[in-house]
Amino acid sequence: MNRQIRQLAVGLMACYVVLFVALNYWQVGRKQELDARFDNTRQVLREFNKPRGPIITADGQVAAVSFPTAPGEPYNFRREYPTGDLLADITGYYTFAFGSTQVERLYGDVLTGSTTEQQVRGLGDLLGGDVGTTGTVELAVRKDAQEVAKFLLGGRTGSITVIEPSTGAIRAMYSNPTFDPNTFVNADFEIAQQAITDLQNADGNPLLAQAYQERYMPGSTFKVITTGIALESGILSLDNTFPNEREWVPPQTNDPIQNYNGSLCGGDLATVFARSCNIPFAQLATLLGPEAMVDGTAAWGIGEELPIDLPRPAASTFGNTTNLAQELPLLAIRGFGQSEVQMVPLHMAMVAGTVANGGQMMKPYAVQATYDQAGRVLDRTEPEVWKTPLSPANAGIMTQLMIGVAERGTASCCIALEGGIPVAAKTGTAQLGDPNNPDLSHAWIIAFAPADNPQYAVSVVLTDVQSTPDVAVTGGRLAGPLAKGMLDYLLTGAGSQPIAPQPQPPTPPAGSTIPGSTVAGDGT
Amino acid sequence: MSDVTTFAAEESHAVVDSPLARSRRTTELTLVFMAALITGAAYTITALGTNAEIPPGIVVFVAILLGLLLCAHVMVRLVARGADGTLLPLAALLHGVGFVMITRLDDELAGLQATWSLVAIGAFVLTLLVVQRATDLARYSWLFFFGGAFLLLLPLAPGLGVNINGARIWVSVGPINFQPGEFAKIALAIFFASYLADRRELIAASTWRVGPFHLPEPRYIAPIVMAWGFAVVVMVFQRDLGSSLLFFALFVVMMWVATERISYLLIGTVLFGAAAYFSWTQFGHVQTRVDVWLDPWQDPLDRGYQIIQALYGLADGGLTGTGLGRGNPGQVPEAQNDFIFAAIGEEWGLIGASAVLMAFILLVGAGLRTALRTDRTFEKLLAVGLTTIVGIQGFIIIAGVIKVVPLTGITLPFVSYGGSSLVANYVLLALLIRLSDSSARRLGELPDEPTPTERWKAWRLSRHIRRADRHGSSVEGST
Repeated sequence: MNRQIRQLAVGLMACYVVLFVALNYWQVGRKQELDARFDNTRQVLREFNKPRGPIITADGQVAAVSFPTAPGEPYNFRREYPTGDLLADITGYYTFAFGSTQVERLYGDVLTGSTTEQQVRGLGDLLGGDVGTTGTVELAVRKDAQEVAKFLLGGRTGSITVIEPSTGAIRAMYSNPTFDPNTFVNADFEIAQQAITDLQNADGNPLLAQAYQERYMPGSTFKVITTGIALESGILSLDNTFPNEREWVPPQTNDPIQNYNGSLCGGDLATVFARSCNIPFAQLATLLGPEAMVDGTAAWGIGEELPIDLPRPAASTFGNTTNLAQELPLLAIRGFGQSEVQMVPLHMAMVAGTVANGGQMMKPYAVQATYDQAGRVLDRTEPEVWKTPLSPANAGIMTQLMIGVAERGTASCCIALEGGIPVAAKTGTAQLGDPNNPDLSHAWIIAFAPADNPQYAVSVVLTDVQSTPDVAVTGGRLAGPLAKGMLDYLLTGAGSQPIAPQPQPPTPPAGSTIPGSTVAGDGT
Repeated sequence: MSDVTTFAAEESHAVVDSPLARSRRTTELTLVFMAALITGAAYTITALGTNAEIPPGIVVFVAILLGLLLCAHVMVRLVARGADGTLLPLAALLHGVGFVMITRLDDELAGLQATWSLVAIGAFVLTLLVVQRATDLARYSWLFFFGGAFLLLLPLAPGLGVNINGARIWVSVGPINFQPGEFAKIALAIFFASYLADRRELIAASTWRVGPFHLPEPRYIAPIVMAWGFAVVVMVFQRDLGSSLLFFALFVVMMWVATERISYLLIGTVLFGAAAYFSWTQFGHVQTRVDVWLDPWQDPLDRGYQIIQALYGLADGGLTGTGLGRGNPGQVPEAQNDFIFAAIGEEWGLIGASAVLMAFILLVGAGLRTALRTDRTFEKLLAVGLTTIVGIQGFIIIAGVIKVVPLTGITLPFVSYGGSSLVANYVLLALLIRLSDSSARRLGELPDEPTPTERWKAWRLSRHIRRADRHGSSVEGST
């Protein structure tokens, strides 16, 4: 029998050798293939179950934080957003099944402490008894500024963006509609799926951060860029005057271009800029020609994705330029921000910032610093120049033009700041010409203050306003108070008191603040 | 008369020293300490990996762990000091690794498993105390046969048996659920060892032939055919493929070793193959198992989910594992049970999983070494049977989990969660230790001391003799 027992031993040993070989096959041989399979959630889950550091605002408020869950819960941590929907556009969300967005996505490795530097530092700290390497992300955005922006919008569709012209730091960036990540990040799969699907199908795409991921027709605010290009090219100076005319026929067509409401408009550059006549800027665009306009807009960053430190930024566009030489009327219209021109709201804040910053356009950033678990700085965002579309001298001229808009032009109704702080602005009203909704307009304003020592540049856009011939809307009257409220709060702390949403004024005539003119042309 | 008295007095004297037995027990004690050390360290590291803190009850845990293992060790030292020194530590290691993994997967089950561990060590001690001579078991072979058959068929009894996960292998009495099959396999192994030891020549001698096969007298193989019948019953009515395969492998291996005829191995394999093929054609659940084994990805969210998740876990673990407490073995349904090996492979990596495989190989090696060393047929066959149970059961479930064979639900001995399994395996371990001790004594490695029962009987006898002497009556009369 001993022979059989020995054979049995060999047989059982062989069985276990087979198991060992199979184990090697799965754990080593096919490891990479199995790890890469689309339905393999191990890596994601492990990542998800790591402790995750908080996101805090520039004024030290918690925007996102993780709490350990009770034992037995499916995941080790709950991610909570104490500010609700206030900072959702910036922080984004962090879910297991539906990925992550914004800062949560881009700074995930810092938050979980997976960067090499954090790992190395964590190793050193382990000797001192510290466990864990989670990082903290500090936003450039201020919670208080964000609250004021949200309050000023008062539920209206649109966005408010505030940047620091000299650094590019985004101090506020709020847009409606938005969402509250708390409603789904910790929910069960089905509930979360339903919530996200609902948000995806909702009007206005709440999941998108419209302020930097969406673009809109800029209307007359674009005249800042057209004027800037013309100044840089040398064909324009403060001395130029434009004839007082009601309509002008561009080349290659018989259709005339009109000022706003077909009004009579003209004068020197400061006047036509302040009154926002259309014809002068159509003429400037035509005079510059397609090539100079395309190159000029590119110098302002148009056509490039905004260099923001958040995922999936939009790019502003000057429209299709392939055949522009044969479409000079289109070029003329684009000169005052209509037709196919579309600008990202954040980009418009950067345009104001460029003028404020002596002609240098800074890279915008939403995160100003990252810290390791012991509070030591990992990385601090260094301000960087992105574009330089204006010379300092021309930036000075542009500042004068924009001060004119605020003092005696289309924004004079509504932008005068508390304490008489000088402010520079440009308004815009874009009529979309949507056949289904002919009155749909965007009301814009961009501004910076103090005009003599700029600290903040702001862009406000209300994207869902109705402009009828009876009740015409203008960027100055609708968006202006919001820019004023924002700048007042930031510069003097005022403006945090309620400001009622501006009702439509009973009657135009818009631009009646400018003596001697019937209507201030504001957009087409 | 005075001679007898002197003899009894001498025997009640202190235990005679034996260097071999002493060194084996020292080995065992050292290895038991190492198993406890590994378990305690793994427990701590797992808790650190899970929630970055040293478990508050670590001192109590290690104290209880050491207490239980030392209790088992001291019992071996007292009543089976000649036994192999690796059996208990190997079981303790597997048990410890399994317990750490169960704690990591489910706190509540860990509490239950801790209670069961207590019961299992108790059963181990009790078995060593009750079974003082391995040969005693042979005397009750038919009791074990009927007892085993009864236990095996018990889950089919209406009102008692419970269907869990499609298999009817559970018995529910009041609040207690248990799997009688775990004990039935030990009982039947004892019966088979005894039966075959008595009749192996008769069975080996072929008296008539069917075609190319030489067969023994039908009456000698009748119980074996019945055993085959049991296996089929388990497969068909209890839908428990794993246990069925295990029973069958047990019978066939024991027949083969007993008769020394390879044809039994072949016939057995053919018979089981036929039964398996038949059930594959007839039963949906068998077909499902085979389909999932061939390609789990054809139904990745339902039937193939468990095995796919197990493979993802193994792949995620890779060579060194995700780290204790750092993986997600909870993704695999029933990870604490049949799939505990996948959980170990995920968190402990190929290295840790291979260590578990090694532990099983060493356990099997120690069991078969016992079978080789003993000179009594019954003990040889029993050691073979018990070792085969552990070896084959471990192979069947691990192979199922890593997609080498179709998955059959069965526990991984000592490692999986489950009271019945743990208690039964510790009883099995106690029997192996008893067999190992018996063989050592018979080989003269240590004196063949009388067992406590024998001492007691001798003491009683001597008392009678003394009384008889005193009263002048005959010994026979007073007993």
